[in-house]
Amino acid sequence: MAAIEFRSVTKRFGQTVAVDQASFRIEDGEFFCFFGPPLSGKSTILRLILGLEKPDEGEVLIGGRPVNGVGPAARNVAMVFQNLALFPHLTAEQNVRFPLVERKTDPEMIARRVAEVSGKLHIAHILHKLPAHLSGGERQRVAIARALVRDPVAYLMDDPISALDARLREETRVELKRIQTELGRTLVYVTHDQEEAMSIADRMAILEHGQIRQIGSPTQAYDQPANDYVARLLGAPMINILSVEADAGAGVLRLGGGAITLPLSAVPQGTSRVGVRPEDLGITKAGDAGKATVFEVEPLGGFTVVTLSAGGNRLRALLRGQPAIQTDSAVGLTMNPAAAHFFAQDGRSLARVGS
Amino acid sequence: MTSIRLDTLTKKFGAFSAIRTMDLEVHDGEFMALLGPSGCGKSTTMNIIAGMERPTSGRVLFGDRDISNVPMTRRGVGFVFQNYAIFTHMTVRQNLAYGLKARGTAGAETDRRVGAIADFLQLTPFLDQPSAKLSVNILQRIAIGRSAIVEPSIFLLDEPLSNVDAAFRAVMRTELKHLQRQFRQTMVYVTHDQLEAMTMADRIAVMDHGVLQQVGTPLEVYNNPVNIFVARFIGSPGMNLLPATLVELGGRLHADLGKAGLSRALTAPLAAAARGQKSRDVWFGFRPEELSVAADTAGLTLAVTFIERIGSRTIAHFDAGGVAVKGVFENDVALQAGSTAHVVAQEQSVRLFDRATGQAIVGD
Amino acid sequence: MSGVTEAPGAAEAGDDARASRKLGLYLTLPAQLLVLFIAVFPLLMQLYISLTGWSPLTGMGWWNAWSLWNSFQNYVELAVDNRWWSALLRTLLVMVVCVPAEFLLGLGLATLFMDNFYGKRAFYSILLMPMMVVPAVAGYMFFMLFQSGGPVNDLLSTLSGQNIAIAWLSNPSLAMVAVMVADIWQWTPLMFLILLAGLVGVQEDQLKAATLLGANWRQRFVTIMLPRMKTIIIIALAIRTIENFKIFDTLYIMTGGGPGVATETISVYIYKLITNDLNWGYVAAIALVILLTLSVALGIAISRMGKASTEVTK
Repeated sequence: MAAIEFRSVTKRFGQTVAVDQASFRIEDGEFFCFFGPPLSGKSTILRLILGLEKPDEGEVLIGGRPVNGVGPAARNVAMVFQNLALFPHLTAEQNVRFPLVERKTDPEMIARRVAEVSGKLHIAHILHKLPAHLSGGERQRVAIARALVRDPVAYLMDDPISALDARLREETRVELKRIQTELGRTLVYVTHDQEEAMSIADRMAILEHGQIRQIGSPTQAYDQPANDYVARLLGAPMINILSVEADAGAGVLRLGGGAITLPLSAVPQGTSRVGVRPEDLGITKAGDAGKATVFEVEPLGGFTVVTLSAGGNRLRALLRGQPAIQTDSAVGLTMNPAAAHFFAQDGRSLARVGS
Repeated sequence: MTSIRLDTLTKKFGAFSAIRTMDLEVHDGEFMALLGPSGCGKSTTMNIIAGMERPTSGRVLFGDRDISNVPMTRRGVGFVFQNYAIFTHMTVRQNLAYGLKARGTAGAETDRRVGAIADFLQLTPFLDQPSAKLSVNILQRIAIGRSAIVEPSIFLLDEPLSNVDAAFRAVMRTELKHLQRQFRQTMVYVTHDQLEAMTMADRIAVMDHGVLQQVGTPLEVYNNPVNIFVARFIGSPGMNLLPATLVELGGRLHADLGKAGLSRALTAPLAAAARGQKSRDVWFGFRPEELSVAADTAGLTLAVTFIERIGSRTIAHFDAGGVAVKGVFENDVALQAGSTAHVVAQEQSVRLFDRATGQAIVGD
Repeated sequence: MSGVTEAPGAAEAGDDARASRKLGLYLTLPAQLLVLFIAVFPLLMQLYISLTGWSPLTGMGWWNAWSLWNSFQNYVELAVDNRWWSALLRTLLVMVVCVPAEFLLGLGLATLFMDNFYGKRAFYSILLMPMMVVPAVAGYMFFMLFQSGGPVNDLLSTLSGQNIAIAWLSNPSLAMVAVMVADIWQWTPLMFLILLAGLVGVQEDQLKAATLLGANWRQRFVTIMLPRMKTIIIIALAIRTIENFKIFDTLYIMTGGGPGVATETISVYIYKLITNDLNWGYVAAIALVILLTLSVALGIAISRMGKASTEVTK
């Protein structure tokens, strides 16, 4: 059993509150992601789980056991560091066996464990090499193997693949997910990359200034963000968040200075801003609907990002394929009212009317 | 005017060839991206244009002028470094004014131009702050402003966005492109990120191992890659490439994809080009975005290994007899990891590459 | 930028940290006391002796020196001791000439070494050699070089075409010049080494950026290299100033402080006091005054350094 639980945990460093009243429960075998911008407290949470920091308030439990007074060594939680921290003067094998040698494990046992993890991580053929002679992905796997060789109840990773280039990151994250699924071990993962978080997490916690703003599956967080902060953090291009202006006479809500309108009947009480995902915006010929000017067209090949100027706002639309749209041309804007996200003054999400 | 021409340029570091015989013309006012993986020679190319490195052979021309022997102090190019190379012992103002001061521009004129550029880049509030402790996003704007203030007609940028956070990067992409369209400098932009190259550049020069692979507009290189390197490198995910054998079936040419099944008949022009080839062994290529789920058991038979939902799109990972295939779908796609799927790559989207050379087989 | 982790160093705050700091103090206390004893005891002993007329010739142990108590008489004598004052002036003169000369030569050489040239490595090794020569040997070397019939005069003769036989070491002002030449020869390499480290540390990209912005060599040097090397320059100057103040071995072997007292620096003077006059109370007083002066100078240098480094570090 290796569920990890925080009960109202607060951690301060002098005046700054690094983690503020955090409560969550990571289930056994779960791939759980902490996601947020730099300094949002995600690394501190990892350090609290590891036991490198002690909470100022609240309780940390691992496997149902309070561990506030338990030192890092006794928690049996392994860590894969951001920079991998492989020893450059040791071969892959010496790196992997290091934690066991440190603990004076029986040599036969060491050999068995090393063989087992290197088999699981497909690194048996590179064990004789020095880290300098390994590719980024291989180094990654060696670092994971080193974390796993002690047979920890859970393992933690702090932005482990951020140093890789974009293409390799895409490959590696799928690989990580596969490894975790095969091992069935609890994995706590910290990242600042929303795409990575959404791709691999079973569930994720989105952080801001040490506070957890939402916990849920990536799909939940993306489709039903708890607030505008979460909505803005997930999705690329970023969600469009527009000011609103009610026009009671016409019975419509005008978004972003009138570029788009929504029937007032579809708008919940207390709406102060409306969010529209770029993929929910449509572009038509000018005159059909709300007016906008094309500011920039960015072809991605399979998709096209169109940046629009509308009523002093800058909006982004994500279109399928390679539509022929000219910069500086006037176009119309459409959107599906059912795809709108409504936010109150304080940023809280409001339930859609009728849902 | 200031076009840039690289004429049979080569660069060797000892025995290592960083650039092998490169010819490239960047038109006046064009935004050219130099794209490739690390070590492909793109940064070396840029350094040669700036005058930081000397080519082993070949010439660099600005307009009609051979500037191969002009030292970098006098080339007058704007250059934004990957790490920004901000003078951290100076204030923001001193950084911005540096180029004008070096040229001996009058104090009043310097002040005016620093004010103007700071205004434009929203740096005014920071002008008198020491630049050492500012955030990366601001440093990046200082770096751009510091080069722009001397109004160079050629602007070189070395991965300027690789250090900034993702959200800001998206904003800066649009802004940089817009800026360039306004001022129409000749811009060379080095990046390893195909997304940046696709979204910003007028044309992309794709490099690998010191060899220029393809030069074309973003959609040209995306739609018609000249070889499998470009096909894989451009696009996110890159193009799917399956080893296949061409077979004649009832007068039409199909690709036999082994376990995955038989492709639909190739389009007539592609088939004609493929028939002109000596070998029947090809790479069968198609974009992940152009894959669709078949209504019945027609199409290719692939094992679904993993489903990734990333916000607005869902990426399905398939296994086609040991070869990984990816598809990008809408979020409501009915695919399950562990099941078998029948998918169709539209005839128009199919690209073929010679298996021996990796070069594209192109129909008329 | 992936290196951004949340306040890792901040762990020192909190009760925990305070407790562990206390423990650390207990653990290091014996060592600290030992260091204190080693550093403070001789100092106190010196202070004590400096207030007496004690000398080993008196035949009594130094701890009994109180019987020769003469209050501040040693210090009063020092204030009117002309030989001391001229030794001090001479020391300062050597410092004022040698340290800037070593600095400028070192900086010039270091700048040359920023570029690649044929034989750079060999030159590098040769340049560092003087620093490795035992000062006594260097002293003897220069003693031989500056003899009337020595190589220096031979060289000058060849160059001028006349027979030159300058008595370098027996002419009071020329002896000083010879001593300075020897010091500069021996210690320019250290300056060179420190300043080269500083120059290499200046980010190459910043220099390139300045170059691309049209700055010429002089502008780059003044606006980028010098400010970024401020800390290291202060360190180099401080080290050499302190060292130079204590100039002794090479000089003593070359001239023995002579002719007469023409090259007598503080160290030479003290040496003579100890070995010839055996007036240890007086020597202790001089030593304390020098220590005090140097400490104040060093304190100023360090505080300047701190300021400079906060300005330069990013």
